[in-house]
Amino acid sequence: MAAVQDTIDQVKKVDVDQYKYGFETDIEADRAPKGLSEDIVRFISEKKGEPAWMLAWRLDSYQRWKVMTEPTWAKVDYPRIDFQDLYYYSAPRSKKVLDSLDEVDPEILKTYEKLGIPLTEQKILAGVKLTGAKPVAVDAIFDSVSVATTFKKELAKAGVIFCSISEALREHPELVRKYLGSVVPQSDNFYAALNSAVFSDGSFVYIPPGVRCPMELSTQFRMNDKETGQFERTLIIADKGSYVSYLEGCTAPMRDENQLHAAVVELIALDDAEIKYSTVQNWYPGDKNGKGGVYNFVTKRGDCRGVNSKISWTQVETGSAITWKYPSCILRGDNSRGEFYSIAISNGRQQVDSGTKMIHLGKNTSSRIISKGIAAGHSQNTYRGLVSAHRKATNARNFTNCDSLLIGDKCGAHTVPYIEAKTSTAHFEHEATTSKISEDTLFYCMQRGLTQEEAVALVVNGFVRDVLQHLPMEFMAETQKLIGISLEGSVG
Amino acid sequence: MSVAIMKTKAELALAEQFQSALPALPGGPEVAKVRQQAIATFGELGLPHRRIEDWKYTDLRTAFKDPAPPSAGDAAKLTVGDLIVALGPYMDLDAPRIVFVNGHYRRPLSNLAGAEAVIVSPLSEKFERLTPAQSDAVTSLNTAFVTDGAVITIPAGVTLEKPLLIVSLTAGKDARLSTVRHQIDAGADARATLVELFITLPGSSPDQQTNTLTTLTAGDRASITHVKAASDGGRATHLSNWIVALGAGTLYRGFQMTSGLALVRNEIAALYRGEHAKLDISGVFLGRSNDHIDTTLTVDHAVPHCESRELFAGVLDGRARGIFQGKIIVRPDAQKTDGKQMARAMMLSPDAEFDSKPELEIYADDVVCGHGSTVAEIDEDLLFYCQARGIPADEARAMLVESFIGEAIERVEHEGLRHCLMQTATAWLNALPA
Repeated sequence: MAAVQDTIDQVKKVDVDQYKYGFETDIEADRAPKGLSEDIVRFISEKKGEPAWMLAWRLDSYQRWKVMTEPTWAKVDYPRIDFQDLYYYSAPRSKKVLDSLDEVDPEILKTYEKLGIPLTEQKILAGVKLTGAKPVAVDAIFDSVSVATTFKKELAKAGVIFCSISEALREHPELVRKYLGSVVPQSDNFYAALNSAVFSDGSFVYIPPGVRCPMELSTQFRMNDKETGQFERTLIIADKGSYVSYLEGCTAPMRDENQLHAAVVELIALDDAEIKYSTVQNWYPGDKNGKGGVYNFVTKRGDCRGVNSKISWTQVETGSAITWKYPSCILRGDNSRGEFYSIAISNGRQQVDSGTKMIHLGKNTSSRIISKGIAAGHSQNTYRGLVSAHRKATNARNFTNCDSLLIGDKCGAHTVPYIEAKTSTAHFEHEATTSKISEDTLFYCMQRGLTQEEAVALVVNGFVRDVLQHLPMEFMAETQKLIGISLEGSVG
Repeated sequence: MSVAIMKTKAELALAEQFQSALPALPGGPEVAKVRQQAIATFGELGLPHRRIEDWKYTDLRTAFKDPAPPSAGDAAKLTVGDLIVALGPYMDLDAPRIVFVNGHYRRPLSNLAGAEAVIVSPLSEKFERLTPAQSDAVTSLNTAFVTDGAVITIPAGVTLEKPLLIVSLTAGKDARLSTVRHQIDAGADARATLVELFITLPGSSPDQQTNTLTTLTAGDRASITHVKAASDGGRATHLSNWIVALGAGTLYRGFQMTSGLALVRNEIAALYRGEHAKLDISGVFLGRSNDHIDTTLTVDHAVPHCESRELFAGVLDGRARGIFQGKIIVRPDAQKTDGKQMARAMMLSPDAEFDSKPELEIYADDVVCGHGSTVAEIDEDLLFYCQARGIPADEARAMLVESFIGEAIERVEHEGLRHCLMQTATAWLNALPA
């Protein structure tokens, strides 16, 4: 059959054995040359001292990526990315270090101030060199190192593995090999394939059976994390009956020179396990005219592989010039549950195309989607989601609620849900509304002494309350402030 | 990367059929030229397939395999007796009617008594002009093959008391492709009820194919009810397009009922041209065995202060597949828009499938828009409630299904018409295997 032959040819085309030229280098480079080729992939792998199977896996991904095309279906508009004009590897120490806070964008500093971030922390976030003249700062750094080690000890006692993925490749190759790419396959999509080929680092978490992780895991605890760069890879495995809550990101805006972020996050929940994954994303959104800013093209997916497993995504998206992100759940195990809570705020010229996929495969699976989109300025904010029930997914249940709030008449809010029920026992409900903040409400607040901006922030915080509640405690207060800041300049 | 897509057998057959049918198609050389262009457009586009976002759930490349030859017009000699049987409950409306058989006007069957105030004529009698309407594949096919249709002008201020039936019958032992196009132009302050009926006569080939396109323009403050009922075609294919443009202050009520057809695509595109217009489009789709019924709706709020309401209810049995794609667009200046949309499906069999894609695309801030979509089986609790009160299970089931679709049918204001639609639905339900 022709179709089968096609497939064979296609597979042959991406065969890793095709590589005929060995790669040898004795350059002690901190930074690989621009562009992407097999040599670069080999270079990255060698730099990180990876096992042979990992290199083969990366090369395989690269071959697949080469024949793929960029997705264009999202409602975002940006100039074409020249993938040969990017650096795919740069060692941490080559990161540009600023001499003082004076060199940092004053807009970002203002935001730090409003969030109430201590000066030292501001410097760390902005990437400013800490000099000996400020001993407090040095202490702070030492502190966090010691904090990290204390936590490490406690985690090790519980049997939890929490390390960088490079370290995991050295220490626990069998675990990485078993699970890497099992949720987001190499050729899943264009950016996932790219990430699989060149990912620099990321987090690895393994929770052994029956363990309830004694603390919230956060990327902030790990020192190397800030330098993981643009292609992050996260792999979290919750073994039978375990529980983990993982926190990613930071409420403060991150100064970042990387234009393109293509991260992949894979979650695996085995029988009775639960993973809670929270993200606060506040990358640089570009200036008022939309110049600069980060492209955030992320593939996040969780696999409820075991029975009674549960995965919950909570995200607060306020940064990035372009967000293309759909944290999803594959509800494979019977009685498994997926949740998605999202706040996406766009202002200025930001473009957000985000949502989720709930794929019901097992019996008695349930999912819940609460999405709150807020568009202001000239931004475009799209919710795009899929809820599907397979033929054998009897008694699948879903409830979806996506509300959009428009602030200003130059922005757009769009809702594109796909609902596919292939079994009669599925019970899906979807509702979406779009509206603006009522003049009466604003008037009421202002009459009681709030400024217009304060009133808007108050109303918006009320609007997103359902989702805020699902954030870990320490993030909640900061996020509320962040919402106010994100919407600055959107009214009046 | 560009890939040359192979033409399907159906695409090649359609192009061939066009060439052989062209000499017999009505209209002068000007019209023939438009037809040629349309088939060329179709040749470039090919049949829509799932890679095209709007056709994600209806892949005509795989579903539409055997295009029937266009009907020549001489086939099927029908009597008024046949018509009475075909119309069934609609005869009781005692309404004026214009009748087409296999896409050709039939004067003896038509009866326009009671519709003197409006100008009704078949398209074939004055086929001077033909406009392409849209440039997509299905409407291009309509432009290429169109043989006839009703041209209706309702002068300004005229009120049509009785509903006007536009009847398209398909008949004959062989499967034929009927292509009709209706053009409805309602002047300012006009009031009318128009009913498009698509019926296959008993004993005819079950593989009839229809491609229909209706353009409706409503003048300022006009009040128009527009109903379409397509039923009982066995394995029939029904491709339908409504293109509706509303003037300021108009009230437009649309309704579509689909039952007993195998492959259906109902596309509706409504555009607001004037402010303070109201639109209410609802529908019922009933699918059984391998039926595939697609409703694709676009409501374009291009001007401020308009209101739109949509409610679609579907009942799916066997391996039937229902699709609802509804899009509300609110353009940048369309402030004070109020749009609501609802799609519901009731699944009677474990193998039925419902895919829904309600979409909002909003560029103005002072709006209230919402949509909802649900899919579920019959509520066991309700069933139990009815049974507890002495109603047998199958009767209770029928009651619940009827009330489910009744909500949409209730939106039709004309009582007689509502009765006819309900009767069609009940007949369909009664014919379901127990």
